[in-house]
Amino acid sequence: MSLKKQATKKMAFKGFVDMLPLNLAVIPWGILCGSLAIQRDFSVLEALLMPLLVFAGAAQLIATELIASNTPLATILFTVFIISSRHFLYGLALRDKLKALPLTKRLSIAFVLTDELFALSTKKKSLRGRLRITYGFSAGLSFYFGWLLWNIIGIIAGSFLPDLTTMGLDFAIAATFIALVIPSITTLPTLVTVIVAAILSVIFKLWHWQLDLVVASLIAMCCGYVALQLQIKFKNAVTKPRSIL
Amino acid sequence: MTLLIILMMAVITFITRYLFLHPRLPIKLGPKVSCFLNFSAPAVLTAIWVPIIFVQDERLVTSVFDPYLIATMSAILVSIITKNIYWTILISVTAFTMVRYVL
Repeated sequence: MSLKKQATKKMAFKGFVDMLPLNLAVIPWGILCGSLAIQRDFSVLEALLMPLLVFAGAAQLIATELIASNTPLATILFTVFIISSRHFLYGLALRDKLKALPLTKRLSIAFVLTDELFALSTKKKSLRGRLRITYGFSAGLSFYFGWLLWNIIGIIAGSFLPDLTTMGLDFAIAATFIALVIPSITTLPTLVTVIVAAILSVIFKLWHWQLDLVVASLIAMCCGYVALQLQIKFKNAVTKPRSIL
Repeated sequence: MTLLIILMMAVITFITRYLFLHPRLPIKLGPKVSCFLNFSAPAVLTAIWVPIIFVQDERLVTSVFDPYLIATMSAILVSIITKNIYWTILISVTAFTMVRYVL
């Protein structure tokens, strides 16, 4: 095997493995999505196509409830669009790194671009260069298979399961994101961003906004940006007089 | 019908993921926008996890002894100390289970 191939294989393996903790964290949600579809009278094929094609957590769950209650099509699709709109932010953030890739690579990475893959790709170096693309795609694929597996377990176990949402299993997801976000707070502007996002996301959630996540994130990003500009300005103001002396 | 709805949903989620990766889209991200977008990860990820902890049954959690809150404190502490995702999940989920089901 050539060195290049070996390196690619190694990176693919590493990406797959690095995603495993996030795969574990969504076990309850995946099982819930699968079992809910069966409990709401979806056929096995329909329940399978949800994780296979839609491949989304919250959107899948809410759409299942909406379809089961005979909600008008436009409402279902609009709701799915609103919940998924946070992906626009991920696409924008990763645009410069991914736009030059060949079509098939771009399409495949886009297909597995979840919250979890984005969470794993926040470093400046992430997804830069051929090997890191392989790593990222493999991590995304790992999450895809994990999600599919948990959904299938939910589909099989179906109606035997108790209501999983009340068991507090969603804490594992929060813990995963804490583990990814908290150590990344190394600068004051990032801290500002996190605090604003935390407060606003809770307020908007209590207000039942469907766009809660996106609006809270956008405002928090603005605050982080302004904090950074102020920091730069302040630093310049402090250092400039000294340089004159 | 359900099948058709699922297919349409798949198209929507895929478009939201792919749209801004499309090279021919007539937008160029200047340095200011790029700098702004650097804050997207901490912002979005925080906006995902914080409501899981603080909003339960559509109400704000105010009790200091809430298992979610206590476990979150442990998760934050462990993540700062170890910077390791496995340790953070292991210890905080254990803390959560202890507080919720044992105490």
